[in-house]
Amino acid sequence: MICESCGAPVGADLDCFAALGLPRKLVLDPAALERAYHELSRRIHPDRFAQASARARDASLRSTALLTRSYRTLRDPVARGLYWLELRGEKLAENNKSVPSELAELVFEVQDELAELRGARGSEIQALRDRTVARRGELESAMNDLRERLARNFERWDNADHDAKGLVADLKAILSQIAYLRTLIRDVDRELENLKAA
Amino acid sequence: MSRIFGIDLGTTNSLIAVMDHGVPRVISDPETGETLLESVVAIAPTGEVHTGRAAIAMEPHLTVEKDGRVSAVGFSGGEFGAVIRSVKRYMGLGGGEIAPEDRNRYTFADMSGSVVRFQIGKRAFTPPQISAEILVALKRRAERALGEKVDRVVITVPAYFNDGQRQATKDAGRLAGLEVVRLVNEPTAASLAYGLNKMAEGNVAVYDLGGGTFDISILSIKEGIFEVLSTNGDTHLGGDDIDSALVDWMLEELPEELRHERHVWNSARLAVEEAKKRLSGADEFEIKLELPGHLIRKSLTRGELERIAAPFVARSLKRCEMALADAGLAGADVQAVVLVGGATRMPLVRRRVAELFGREPLCSLNPDEVVALGAAVQAGVLMGTQGDMLLLDVVPLSLGIETMGGVMERLIHRNTTIPTSVTENFTTAVDSQTHVDIHVLQGERELARDCRSLARFKLGPIEPQPAGLPRIAVTFLIDANGILNVSARDERTGREHSIDVKPSYGLTDEEIERMLEEAIDLGEQDLEQRLLIVARNDAEQILGALRKQLGEFPELIEGGERARLEEAAERLDAARKTEDRELISRLVEELNELSTPFAGRIMDFAIKQALEKKSVEEVS
Repeated sequence: MICESCGAPVGADLDCFAALGLPRKLVLDPAALERAYHELSRRIHPDRFAQASARARDASLRSTALLTRSYRTLRDPVARGLYWLELRGEKLAENNKSVPSELAELVFEVQDELAELRGARGSEIQALRDRTVARRGELESAMNDLRERLARNFERWDNADHDAKGLVADLKAILSQIAYLRTLIRDVDRELENLKAA
Repeated sequence: MSRIFGIDLGTTNSLIAVMDHGVPRVISDPETGETLLESVVAIAPTGEVHTGRAAIAMEPHLTVEKDGRVSAVGFSGGEFGAVIRSVKRYMGLGGGEIAPEDRNRYTFADMSGSVVRFQIGKRAFTPPQISAEILVALKRRAERALGEKVDRVVITVPAYFNDGQRQATKDAGRLAGLEVVRLVNEPTAASLAYGLNKMAEGNVAVYDLGGGTFDISILSIKEGIFEVLSTNGDTHLGGDDIDSALVDWMLEELPEELRHERHVWNSARLAVEEAKKRLSGADEFEIKLELPGHLIRKSLTRGELERIAAPFVARSLKRCEMALADAGLAGADVQAVVLVGGATRMPLVRRRVAELFGREPLCSLNPDEVVALGAAVQAGVLMGTQGDMLLLDVVPLSLGIETMGGVMERLIHRNTTIPTSVTENFTTAVDSQTHVDIHVLQGERELARDCRSLARFKLGPIEPQPAGLPRIAVTFLIDANGILNVSARDERTGREHSIDVKPSYGLTDEEIERMLEEAIDLGEQDLEQRLLIVARNDAEQILGALRKQLGEFPELIEGGERARLEEAAERLDAARKTEDRELISRLVEELNELSTPFAGRIMDFAIKQALEKKSVEEVS
């Protein structure tokens, strides 16, 4: 990201890991990542080139844009996993609409409960609301389990000599479940929010 | 190279500051000693411009004469010249986007287009042109105070300003002859001022309730890096709104049409503003407002003020909760809360903010000055004199494009650190298609029509090829000012495409060039010619207005005065056909002066009539 001879930022099509000067490893220490990001920002940010030539200003702008995007991608494990798939020419199925089979039962139950909550009147609202709040807790813990599975998948990638094919399938399964669960939690939150507003 | 100055271009007040041996300092006017410049611009019928206090003096208001009579004075808009306050509420917005309460405050030449224009005399002024007058006044103030050139500045904007509002602010700088080195978000600037001496560290919330806008920003301040985690706000929420609600309360007994009469409304606003300030210390304040033949006397208690202000404060707190959620923090995770903006002096605001975050807010720096001080600190950063300090700000609103079915596809999410960019590939939908239309949007809603249109552009010309074959990579880049830049590249040929981006709102480069040329031209040799045209326009206006008034209110003028006015009008009518500009200007002024008592009586009459009508209605 930085020109060795003059210290100026260089615009390049670096991958997210290279942009932050990090090895291509999936397991990342958030504090180290932030340090790398801050350190590079201090050197290449447009604020450091406000009085430089138009070319240097432009290079600084473009490389900082790349740096911040890389940081954002790597900071969030889910975004990092998706990016990893992208680097290997893979991606989650387009229009990821079908419910992952592992989640199917849970999803249908939650949807039913939300429909009941929407239709609830008078005294029954409170009990149904409490049930949905408890359900939200369950979804949250399912999400935490998935995040742990994701972390384990990352470790296996970094320990190289595993079967990459199985890892790709595992990573895809975890990520699509996370994506689905996120939408579900958002739906639950929206319903609870509507209830509060009403 | 010249120094970079920091400017807080506020809705109510504006300031200019600079770094002085590592300490930010607000520059006061060398003659008056004032630090705040009221963001008020008066444009006289003659085209003369005044700012600040001088402009406020020309605002339409009611005044009590020596003989006890109440009369209406000031420029009442349109052909009489105008006094424009809170121009920031109009910056970068199309006619349809102006808040309902702001639509009737002035006479507009055009409310339908992509830029509103204030009608003043025969001319129309855009909001950036009016703002530029405030910037010029600040520039001159600093130049007189310091004896050095001011041509490079940092200007602050509300964090929640959209792309168009930011662009309009940059345009204002350009029209004022300034290079705007950077736009900085106001709450972030305030955090720089507080963070400079480590008065605030860790997770910091900046609550900024100004005259016209509200912002909340949550930052993480660590080892000189000021990283904004999230920002939220409302560009139509501020002390002005509380004042308006107070005016409504003050004038509730008046008939509707009189409540909105500009002289009456402005006088009431000045009165409630004063009361609001007093009530930060006192528990009760008596407001008196003298109208012709009518005195309104009302007592405002702290409780009543708080009842009126509460809904506005509640709206701001809702925004705070959203910002906390986006930052992934709870109120208790915030280690310091900073208050910015004059409206945060209200005890109610302090109480509510303290409740939300569970700690007393910091306000050791003057809330009116802290943003300007921060702008100066950022100017220092840009000059390279602030060592390791660095600001990492975010884009307040998501940016995306319209896709099939009118859906907004988000490309850059709100609260993404800037500068940032995203590249999207586009192709053709039918064979031999030579252009692709792209509609860029800003906002958080799902449907394109609910988001704000930012720009439209055409990609192309594309070489005729089968559908789906061309690959054009379009890069959307948001720079450190929060402003969008678009570039495109043909992936197959590697050629850069030129893109003609048409902003949906705001001024085009050509329009700004023309405004600049007009301004510069005035300083060239045809100045005399232009002044002659201006003088003739002024003469036409005042003659037309007088004719109309004489026709409509013959009973308000007696024979002798009428004859004197008509004679002066005739002389001016003859003069305006000559080339003698000085004579025309002198006669315009003369007629203006002669007709003032008559205009005053018309005003009185209109107010009394409205009041009588009201009392008749009450009786019946």
